[in-house]
Amino acid sequence: MTTNLQAQPEARVPAPVHALEVRGLVKSYPGVKALDGVDLVVRQHEVLGLAGENGAGKSTLLKALVGLVRPDGGEIWVRGEKVRLRSIVDAADHGIGMVFQEQSLVPNLTAAENIVLGSEGPGVRRGVYRWNTMRRLAQEQLDKIGSHIDPLARTDTLSFADRQMVEIAKVLRIEERTSHPPVIILDEPTSVLESKEIETLFTQVRRLREFASVVFVSHRLDEVLDVCDRVAVLRGGRSVGEVPAADAAPAELHRMMIGSTGGDDHYHGASAAVRSDERSDEPRTPRLVVRGLSGKTFRDVDLDVHAGEIVGIVGVHGSGREDVCRALFGAEPTTAGEVVLDGERLDLSGTRAACAAGVGYVPAERKTEGMVGPMSVADNMTLTKQHSRCTGPLVRPRKQATLVDRWIERLSIRTPHRGTAIQRLSGGNQQKVVLARWLVAGDVRLLLLDHPTRGLDVGARSEVYRLMRELAGSGVATVLLADSLEEAIGMSDRIIVMSDGRATTEVAAPAGGKPTPLDLVKEMV
Amino acid sequence: MSTPVITKPAADAVVPVRPTLGQRLTSFMPVIALVVLLAALTIADPGFLTLNSLTAAVRTSAPLVVLAAGATLVVLCGGIDLSIAALCSLATVFFALWLPDLGGLTTVAVIAATAAIGALQGLAHVLLRIPSFIVTLGGMSIFSAIALVISDAGPIRVVDRDVTNWLTLYVGGVVPMSFVVALVVVAVISLVLRLTPLESWIRATGYSESAARLAGTPVDVVKVAAFTVSGACAGLAALMLVSRNFSGSPSMADNLLLPAVAAIVVGGTAITGGHGSLWRSLAGALVVTLLRVGLPIVGVPSAYEQILYGAIIVAAVALTLDRSKVLIIK
Repeated sequence: MTTNLQAQPEARVPAPVHALEVRGLVKSYPGVKALDGVDLVVRQHEVLGLAGENGAGKSTLLKALVGLVRPDGGEIWVRGEKVRLRSIVDAADHGIGMVFQEQSLVPNLTAAENIVLGSEGPGVRRGVYRWNTMRRLAQEQLDKIGSHIDPLARTDTLSFADRQMVEIAKVLRIEERTSHPPVIILDEPTSVLESKEIETLFTQVRRLREFASVVFVSHRLDEVLDVCDRVAVLRGGRSVGEVPAADAAPAELHRMMIGSTGGDDHYHGASAAVRSDERSDEPRTPRLVVRGLSGKTFRDVDLDVHAGEIVGIVGVHGSGREDVCRALFGAEPTTAGEVVLDGERLDLSGTRAACAAGVGYVPAERKTEGMVGPMSVADNMTLTKQHSRCTGPLVRPRKQATLVDRWIERLSIRTPHRGTAIQRLSGGNQQKVVLARWLVAGDVRLLLLDHPTRGLDVGARSEVYRLMRELAGSGVATVLLADSLEEAIGMSDRIIVMSDGRATTEVAAPAGGKPTPLDLVKEMV
Repeated sequence: MSTPVITKPAADAVVPVRPTLGQRLTSFMPVIALVVLLAALTIADPGFLTLNSLTAAVRTSAPLVVLAAGATLVVLCGGIDLSIAALCSLATVFFALWLPDLGGLTTVAVIAATAAIGALQGLAHVLLRIPSFIVTLGGMSIFSAIALVISDAGPIRVVDRDVTNWLTLYVGGVVPMSFVVALVVVAVISLVLRLTPLESWIRATGYSESAARLAGTPVDVVKVAAFTVSGACAGLAALMLVSRNFSGSPSMADNLLLPAVAAIVVGGTAITGGHGSLWRSLAGALVVTLLRVGLPIVGVPSAYEQILYGAIIVAAVALTLDRSKVLIIK
């Protein structure tokens, strides 16, 4: 906090000097407090796990540690010295480096070039690459982690696991900048790896501990407990505690991560339509029937969704579930398969046809794909269903105003005015406007929700959940790509597991008979 | 299907956010810039502000206003049309060549032809997925060359002046007809945009094409339409030039491309798309014309004229562009 800025620095540097210490870090974005006073200690030569749900503030914290985000308040101390990190180079000078979740290597360069990129040092003389020196520099880095990758191999010919090794080797270059053991941050390093590769990575991480401190972030709790010495848990932008990894169970961590938040009340329900239908045993024709849908990243996907049903699709990164969603909306080309909506063949050639057929899509990237930031709430809401604000070809401003105001009230969208630019709203209210876009004409039959609660705080999330339930209750068929397994389990009536572009398993998730996250994880890998 | 109703009302009141004075001012900036420029020119030479020189200025500006108005649509969609001047030159040649055969229908024929050529460029941009910059850069070169070939590389005199004579009249004896036509073009296009969904489609396309596409906006149709109107405007501007010069020439409008682009940006339309309007381009075109016409009149030496022109354009954009409405400054 800003008030603590002057709290006697000398007195706060006691005996064991930590590799990295964070005190009361605060960072707010419009509508969301991403970090709300986070405290964190990374000791010398330890592997610290960082756990937390989506939106707990992990990414913001990591970005603050490498100078990509300027905190609003709080302090960062490196080896007993208070620092202000202004850029990633600044962080590197203090010995902090990060392996990014989205791989940050340039694919058409060699491993060696990538490793020295940005810190070429003697690898460049008079503006010209000295290939031998560069290869030697790169080889030194690769030797540090005992990797046998050819430094002159083009990066895009390497496997994901090898690229990760290159990234780690690259990050270790920061050792040249400080005389101290560096702090290496690994952000979700396992999300794109296979289990055998994960084992190799873990060996590396344990080896890193010899000469560095490591911060390890992963969604998979068993991994975190496996490789870390200690695990710190974040929730809602705060540190909620830490446990030694040796005697903690995933369940315990999980409880700390989730806590007891209001959002969970909406889990574990079933859609009204499904409940009432359970009484009648007649077989129903599904509203959406997908058969053998294939595209670039998915093959032979079959999927049925009934009216009033929420079907979750889960899968790891690269399972192809996002592309299936986009394909159903006509935004991703398909090579084969048939999609039938309410008995009629759905035209997948473009988004306009899908919209006209009553399909709605809420993209994961709200800011760039979901909404048109500088346009008003009203214009965003009526962007798709133009006829809802028109008489014939003419726009009727009064008709639009009445309609939009009604939806602002129904969804309790907090906006100064319908004419306010949507980018000035908080994330949750933006998302409600994006959702309302599909509802204003009252003709939506199928909703495809790609991470509809991404980046929303707990309160906004539960409002989106409630809206989803109400929509299902009115007969809308919903396909949900949830932000977390817990969300998928809580919100879905049925869950499809996708792996390598195929729908592999179907798991029923009725109220009272929900599967556990572990049941699903087994099927996902 | 019944519409769902969320029962919980909004708990907290929201403080209304009013636009700041600065934000309000930026929307009037193009007009303010115009008035300031006029005042500055008058102060520099008190003899400048006469009915005659104003009439001359707006008459000169008419083709530029029409060209800029059409190209503004393309810019609003997030593209750029570099071919307008070359297409306009080509259209003057068309006009001179076709007039003896088509007579009174030439006007319609020329505008239809340039509209079709504009549509063709739009289709190339949309269907072949080539950036509009490249498509229209190629178009510019091709149209210039065609104009040279079919005109035998020289001006073609227009003998029958009856067809274009109406553009040289004065409304009420004061306002040049060509300027009135330019105003009507700006007004009609603006009205059509305002009264139909086209405006939100164009803005959504310009601000964020992917978001527009995922909202089911007919992005491709909108873009082709913008290029078509831009082409038609080039044809109309050609008529105005022919009515003034009594000839068609393969390079007649070539010096209008950069002033047209300048007019658009000086008006405060974002070159990145989405934000802006045709009215702004009208004001921008008047500013650009006043600079061109006014600087020599008030006695700025021609060597300094270019420097001043460039500096004022950059300064005007700095004033008129509302940065809160623009996502990226490229």
